[in-house]
Amino acid sequence: MKPSEIKNRMIGSLDAGIDTVGIFEEMEKDGISFDFSNDFDEKVIGRVFNTKNEEIVEVEFIRSMTRVFYRIALTGVAAIVLMLISIFLMEGSLSFNSFLGLGNSYDESTICLLTGN
Amino acid sequence: MIKGSYSEAEEDELVSASIGGDKQAFGVIVARYRKMVARTVKGMLGDSIFAEDVGQEVFIKLFYSLADFRGESKLSTYIQRIAVNLTLNEIKRRKRFFSMFSQKGNNEMHEIEVADHDTEEKREASEIVHKALQKMDPKFRIIITMRMLQGYSTKETAEMLELPLGTVLSRLSRAQEQLKGILEKL
Repeated sequence: MKPSEIKNRMIGSLDAGIDTVGIFEEMEKDGISFDFSNDFDEKVIGRVFNTKNEEIVEVEFIRSMTRVFYRIALTGVAAIVLMLISIFLMEGSLSFNSFLGLGNSYDESTICLLTGN
Repeated sequence: MIKGSYSEAEEDELVSASIGGDKQAFGVIVARYRKMVARTVKGMLGDSIFAEDVGQEVFIKLFYSLADFRGESKLSTYIQRIAVNLTLNEIKRRKRFFSMFSQKGNNEMHEIEVADHDTEEKREASEIVHKALQKMDPKFRIIITMRMLQGYSTKETAEMLELPLGTVLSRLSRAQEQLKGILEKL
């Protein structure tokens, strides 16, 4: 159908005030497209299910990261506890000086140690 | 269920299979409703590559919201609502975008056309129809799309767009006048 015919038909139907519901359907029969491209379905399916896979990978990554984080945190806590025990055993207390390795030193001996006098 | 036998399946069967991640079942939903979505989206956005993208977004959004579909309305109505909302959002987004760069508004965006028509004559005819629709005020265009392109009754159109029936009726008559005026000038 020629473009001018389409135009006139639309104007005619709008002019007459008749029910225009079917007009576009008729035009579709004449080749005026109101549809997507042929590969539309595949594109949608591809996007939906690829996104889904990506999401699964992302969730798995976050889960394994959390597991790794917990392991690192537990190892750290265990190391700190061991260090505290060894400090207590070596210095006899858990004071600030013990942490600095000064638990058994007197002030004078520290000054001697630092100044060399 | 054996794969490939979904073509005759009922809506609820397709929905529950799709929720379970059945590609085949969701493929049948897409194939069944793509034309309906295309009419809404292309009627509103024109025969452009953007329309195809929005069409894809409609089905992606549908897939992720299928679990919320309670079956109170028809699946087609549910899809149509998603299509209308996404299309209207796209129109708003474009208006904002184009108003930043151009004074001509959203008419420029229809320069990119899909060259997928059989003959020159068909292409021209199609261009006239799409151009006429695009020149309409979006609030009238949506009424024309729903009523004339999709074939919904005025009551259904009112429900779909959440507008009073009287508003739809008055907009329909003004939309028809506007469309006629545009066609005469083309």
